[in-house]
Amino acid sequence: MPGEEASEEKDKSIQHTAALSFGFICLIIGIPLWWKTTEVYRVNLPYSDIADLWNTKFQFTIDIDVVNLEKSWTDKDLTDLSKLLKANLADDRKVGAIFPKYRVAVRQAAEKQSSDVTSLKTLAALDEYFHGEESSVNKYLIVLMPVNNAVVKQTTIGNYRAVYLPAGKRDLKTVSSEVTEILHSVLVREDALLKSFQNFLGAREPKDKASMRSLSYHQGYDILFTLVNPQPDILDIDWSIKEAVEAYLSPMVKQLSDYINLDIKSQMLFFTGLRRKPHKDKKNSGFYYEETDLPHTINPLEANLGSHASNNPMLNFIVYVPSRDQHPLHIVLKNGEKVKTNSFLSPQWGGIVVQNLPSPPPNSSLPVRVTVDMKTVMEVFLTQLRLLMDFNIQVKKDLQVREVGNDVIREWELDNWLRKKCLENLATSISTLQSLTALLEGISNIVIQDDIGQQVENAVTGIKEAHRHLSSGQIARAFTQSRKALASSEKAFFDPSLLELLYFPEDQKFAIYIPLFLPIGLPILGSLFKAIKWIKTKRKQKPKTE
Amino acid sequence: MAAPMVHFYFQLIAFAFLHQCAGTSPEEFFKSGHTNNWAVLVDTSRFWFNYRHVANVLSIYRSCKRLGIPDSRIILMVADDMACNPRNPRPATVFNNANNQINVYGDDVEVDYRGYEVTVENFIRVLTGRLPPSTPRSKRLLSDEHSNVLVYMTGHGGDGFLKFQDAEEISNVELADAFEQMWQKRRYHEVFFMIDTCQAESMFQKFYSPNILAVASSKVGEDSLSHHVDPSIGVYVIDRYTYYALEFLETVTPGSKKTMGQFLEVCPKYQCISTVAKRTDLFRRDVNKVLLTDFFGSVRNVELLPDSIHLQNATLHTHSEDSSYVKSDKPLNYAQQFPMPV
Repeated sequence: MPGEEASEEKDKSIQHTAALSFGFICLIIGIPLWWKTTEVYRVNLPYSDIADLWNTKFQFTIDIDVVNLEKSWTDKDLTDLSKLLKANLADDRKVGAIFPKYRVAVRQAAEKQSSDVTSLKTLAALDEYFHGEESSVNKYLIVLMPVNNAVVKQTTIGNYRAVYLPAGKRDLKTVSSEVTEILHSVLVREDALLKSFQNFLGAREPKDKASMRSLSYHQGYDILFTLVNPQPDILDIDWSIKEAVEAYLSPMVKQLSDYINLDIKSQMLFFTGLRRKPHKDKKNSGFYYEETDLPHTINPLEANLGSHASNNPMLNFIVYVPSRDQHPLHIVLKNGEKVKTNSFLSPQWGGIVVQNLPSPPPNSSLPVRVTVDMKTVMEVFLTQLRLLMDFNIQVKKDLQVREVGNDVIREWELDNWLRKKCLENLATSISTLQSLTALLEGISNIVIQDDIGQQVENAVTGIKEAHRHLSSGQIARAFTQSRKALASSEKAFFDPSLLELLYFPEDQKFAIYIPLFLPIGLPILGSLFKAIKWIKTKRKQKPKTE
Repeated sequence: MAAPMVHFYFQLIAFAFLHQCAGTSPEEFFKSGHTNNWAVLVDTSRFWFNYRHVANVLSIYRSCKRLGIPDSRIILMVADDMACNPRNPRPATVFNNANNQINVYGDDVEVDYRGYEVTVENFIRVLTGRLPPSTPRSKRLLSDEHSNVLVYMTGHGGDGFLKFQDAEEISNVELADAFEQMWQKRRYHEVFFMIDTCQAESMFQKFYSPNILAVASSKVGEDSLSHHVDPSIGVYVIDRYTYYALEFLETVTPGSKKTMGQFLEVCPKYQCISTVAKRTDLFRRDVNKVLLTDFFGSVRNVELLPDSIHLQNATLHTHSEDSSYVKSDKPLNYAQQFPMPV
């Protein structure tokens, strides 16, 4: 019947329109909505900047001033010397990821300076004179001494930023090559800097003693001085550590206060000792440890040293006073010779010095009060501290270096440290950011919140600023910026929110979504296809009927 | 005639190679490439009938401590408390042997994560270092690029997963990713991964970071078995692999020269019944030349100090009476704690 057919047609058209509208809503609105709401939230990170930083070559600038006191050298000699020096220093032997730029200025000394210098009789006075006048951070002074100067007989490096070269009878070429040599091996040390930079960027090469010994940079270090007294009932030991730290250590702490925070504590341990039994010395009455015994003495002691509350690395300096049955105790070398300082250090941990205090005579009333000589103890500890904190620089035997004395750190050593730590911090920040990027690409489930994005931006800005300061020669500012960049990049990488969504691995996503979507999806898709087919047949019918 | 020429060229090349990568003498390098040792020991099972897993992890803990790793560098995660469990007939003790020879709980045990704190999330956070800022130092793995880390896990496992607390699992992919993040952030020098569960081999199959040496108590498809039962408490007290591993470790002293190669051969099939599987392809050094104490103990590098700087005698200002010790003349008495009725 035509009426029934018409109503059937109408029903079908309603059904198919309904199916089409469902399909439309599902596909055009539903799927994008689902995609957007299940997307992992990720703030935009400066990926291109980070990739650029990976390939940046960092330039660091150093200023050199050469002052001539040798009267026989004319201005023409000095111009030649300047040309030679510039040529020597500009040779880009290895333009690696970091490279130095030298700014050289050569000049004659003023008359007053020459006459002043002849009146100075000691190296210390000479150093003080030039310290007051001319040196500043990252600017080195090469003083060409006159031939008859009584104080400087061979090339000497002072405690501030001056190097004294007896120019006298030498020709320009030797002087220039000597200056270049000193710069490359002592004052600037590009090779060591390049190696450590590449190491921190990711190249894992076997490390030599100097780089394994020292702690990597942290915001602060904890330093703990311990006096170990195994028999306090026999020896009542007095050590004025508080005063000694103030007298010998605080100048250094103050000098470093802008760059690193040193937190100093001290304690005394009783009734504990180095549990390893020492060997008995057959010739003299005494006991000794060989180098192979020493590693095992540290562990039992460390268990008793106590834990501390901060997350900073800890350097332990221990004074061990042997008990009566192990007295006197020495550390010997392989050939049987006693070690002069009677001490040893363990890289990244600290050092131990054995102090043989006099044993109480047989009939004295116990405990006997004895005093530790703080000067010898602090000498050893400060030497070890210099080694452990990477201030010490090995200088070749033909160069003389002025004894450092109570300053503990020479200014050019501090410059070296700042430069090295700045570059290491930059390398660590860059590699951290790079690892973060690689991590985000590798694991798609990690959420990046806004504050982490901010930290990454800060880190990138810090690195760029530090580079700018390095190129202009201001290493202290560069160091501060690099420290900020390091803190930001570490904070971004180690943020607790970065743990990827557990229990949602890619291959199990199907298992989670299929029970939700399949039962509804199949009927919708089926009816959608049917509806489209119906529309197509309707369209084919239409032209035919007309 | 060719052989001497080849030999000559070989010597030349060897000499040139040595000369190129030397320039430094052997004394310029320390004997070992690590400066400290850490241990992360995890037991993931709860309930009284999993007594043996707690005994396993505490026995390894005891060996590590005996060989020199201090508590401050051991992270011990024990998922359930057996020592103070009401069913323990000898409270405050955990034994790994029916003869009750050694109390592995001891009186100086330091458990860092106990009970409900042992979760997959906390374990991954410890390894990757992403702990909330309020976490105390004893709960953090503060290793650096010179640390050798020993990771020991025990509990119930399956093909590709390890069960934590009977409620969740860690998969081998997640574990491999965690180690890779550690490698990226230079948080270890070498890792020794030891696992004593059923189908343990599957847990290290997905590792892809360098410098990892792994050993497992059983292959995929095999079960690890327990050793013996203690009739007085009615539960198994130790697993086979850990029992024989401990037997080996008991003969090791801090200065011992035993190698990891020997340790990897511990517990052959007739003793363990399951096959011990190992993975050495990611490890750079030859296992027969690696000392056991590189992972289980803590043998440090030392350097003698030949000379020191010379200081000028500075006057030490002696402080007068420390101002914090203020002596008061008034007699002290207790405040009224219980106000008595008048």
